[in-house]
Amino acid sequence: MALNSNAHQRNKVDFFSRITKFSPHFLLCILIVPVLGGLLSVLLPAFGWAPAMEQTTFGLHGFKALWQTPGLGQMVMLTITTGLVSTVLAFVITLLMLSAFFNSPWLNRIQRIFSPILVIPHAAAAIAVGFLIAPSGMISRLISPWLSSWELAPNGIFPHDSLGISIILGLTLKELPFLLLMALGVLAQPELGKKLKQQHQVALNLGYYPMTAFFKVVLPSLYPMLRLPILAVLVYASASVEMPLILGPNTPPTLAVAIMHWFQDVDLNLRIKASAGALLQLCLSGGLLALWLIAEKAISRLSHAPLTNGKRQYCDAIWNKVTILLTLLIIAFIGLALIGLILWSLAGFWRFPAPLPEHLVLLHFESAIAQMGNPLFNTLAVGVIATMFAVIVTLFCLEAEQLSAKPLSRFTSIIIYLPLVIPSIAFLFGLVWIQQLVHEQASFFNVVFVHLLFVLPYVFLSLASSYRRLDPRFARVAASLGTTPLNVFLQVKLPQLFAPILIAIALGLAISFGQYLPTLLAGGGRISTITTEAVTLANGASRRTSAVYAIIQMVLPLIGFMLAWILPKYFFKSAYK
Amino acid sequence: MQPSLQIKNLQLSLQNELLLKLSEDVIGGEVLTIMGPSGSGKSSLLNWLTGTLPSAFNATGEVWLNGLNIDNLPSHMRHIGVLYQDPLLFSHLSVAGNVAFAMRKGNKKQRQEKVEHALEQVGLKGMGKRHPDTLSGGQQARVALLRLLLSEPKAILLDEPFSKLDTQLRVDIRQLVFEQIREHTLPAIMVTHDHSDAEAAQGKVVTLQPLGNQDAR
Repeated sequence: MALNSNAHQRNKVDFFSRITKFSPHFLLCILIVPVLGGLLSVLLPAFGWAPAMEQTTFGLHGFKALWQTPGLGQMVMLTITTGLVSTVLAFVITLLMLSAFFNSPWLNRIQRIFSPILVIPHAAAAIAVGFLIAPSGMISRLISPWLSSWELAPNGIFPHDSLGISIILGLTLKELPFLLLMALGVLAQPELGKKLKQQHQVALNLGYYPMTAFFKVVLPSLYPMLRLPILAVLVYASASVEMPLILGPNTPPTLAVAIMHWFQDVDLNLRIKASAGALLQLCLSGGLLALWLIAEKAISRLSHAPLTNGKRQYCDAIWNKVTILLTLLIIAFIGLALIGLILWSLAGFWRFPAPLPEHLVLLHFESAIAQMGNPLFNTLAVGVIATMFAVIVTLFCLEAEQLSAKPLSRFTSIIIYLPLVIPSIAFLFGLVWIQQLVHEQASFFNVVFVHLLFVLPYVFLSLASSYRRLDPRFARVAASLGTTPLNVFLQVKLPQLFAPILIAIALGLAISFGQYLPTLLAGGGRISTITTEAVTLANGASRRTSAVYAIIQMVLPLIGFMLAWILPKYFFKSAYK
Repeated sequence: MQPSLQIKNLQLSLQNELLLKLSEDVIGGEVLTIMGPSGSGKSSLLNWLTGTLPSAFNATGEVWLNGLNIDNLPSHMRHIGVLYQDPLLFSHLSVAGNVAFAMRKGNKKQRQEKVEHALEQVGLKGMGKRHPDTLSGGQQARVALLRLLLSEPKAILLDEPFSKLDTQLRVDIRQLVFEQIREHTLPAIMVTHDHSDAEAAQGKVVTLQPLGNQDAR
């Protein structure tokens, strides 16, 4: 009997450890197979090989059709300019803010203002920005009629301007908080952050003006840590569809939006052209990455001599004022956009130049919520399943790292970011082709699976640092008391990680809630979520209903983060003395 | 006029609790040593002098440098150089780059020659192209000193600058630093735990008592 239970015990231990050690391979599989499989299944149809459509001859007719698309050049130009300009702007403003407020309490305040924006889905942000800059939007109401002398809403070009300025505005506002918080995350690292702050002070002592000191001393060490987030932003900005769909022009749209339309067209032959387009998109995003890296090398070489030329300031006083003004403008813009959104969702009759609606009514909320049941259920169900799965896989992988006492291979660490640095529009179509072949009816499962690809990297990023910081002595003490690895994991490590796990869950849910293109494609249009509804409503239906959906899109992730913030105060408190 | 750093009627407090009181004149070439247990406000004194006192602290009093009141000047306009415990060399620059960083702007060739000459003087000839991390602790301390001096400060603060060096090195570096201070006739204030530092400085020694703050360890 005793022998038996012993053997049983050993089996159990082995089982847990075996699963754990296997999990990194599993992680690699669920990331590499769909992404590379998806890319491959875009590549083959692009060259004319699509058995599903009884086309099995290789050829270039997909590309020919693509070249003959009217306005292709404009599409490409719009894609490049919006992607590049918004990324450069977000990056430059991030640097200006960091340098101007490096040692000031304002940096933390700005961080607090910006953090919630990070979890607002792109679609909701786009809707809010669109409302603000529209001819009858908040800005034009505030300056009318006293300044503009507009008695009626003017014929503006925003949003949907053909140059993509609205898209650039939306993307920049959304990516700026991301880059800024990434940079602050680097500066919050205990050793590196302290060293950079001290070196900045050294430069000040040597007579360098604060902003110049940041650029000459802090930035060269900070930039390498920011490179990956920037590249991810660049790829996203050049290939996303939500912002261009809501804020961009229609004739012609950005390449990504056009590809999406071709894929969804009833004419299946357009799918060949769409695949060719996806390949072109891949080249454009890749080209932008290459351009960024080349520019980076060039700037680093050109700035080598000026770094040590002894010049203490480059009009710092002016730049400081410009940055403060810019920061205030951005905060005011964001504030106005949110206020406008809330007002629209509650507005009864709202005559043009009036800055406030005549009555506030709950009608739009009531009628929207009455119809929201199904999308809301889908949003939550997909989000919860994908996030839970991502959290469990991540925890197993991180545990595997600790059990085997060696960090994940560099290859694995890079692969985790794969879905973030490959334009999703390029591999999603291929993936959908495959999914349709394998199990066409399982659209719910398909959506969950595709969401997982985007949720996993963020969950992993968010959990990894806290898991790796766990004091290994607790686990050793527990093990020396005869606790099995499984119980160490469940009873010692997980309770200590309660707060970070909740944050990771909230982040995973927020990412899943915000997915538009993956939901639309993998669900074959049959799975509607709050986000897909919001995007559909944004172009057409009532501005008021659209505002309600955008607000619900913003509120959902915020609830998640608030729970993640409150719950640890009541559970497993002892772990956070 | 003789270079001087004057602290007039400084009263430094943390959340309404008085940490220290100080009134001192330091003339060029002299080193004032401040000793005292941690928590007595030594580092806050240096922060106040460089204009980086955290907002939790409160200070009244004035600081005059060469006859100018610099109370309201920001850190980067005070011309006060600081030598820290760690050399804090910039790891994105070479040794020569670190030194050149501190020098006033000017003719590129002359600056280069000056850097080489300065490195040679402290026994680091030919090491300009190396990465600071490849130098020994003593060599790094020398580069940090050069960087400080070539920025032509008007006063120098020493924040336990020798505490991380081993005994023999400590004596050498200390001697080099004090020699340079005398040679450049710079007023200097040194904060230290170590009595041998205080003796070597050959100047006035002020020992801070934890005033009013009974909890200070």
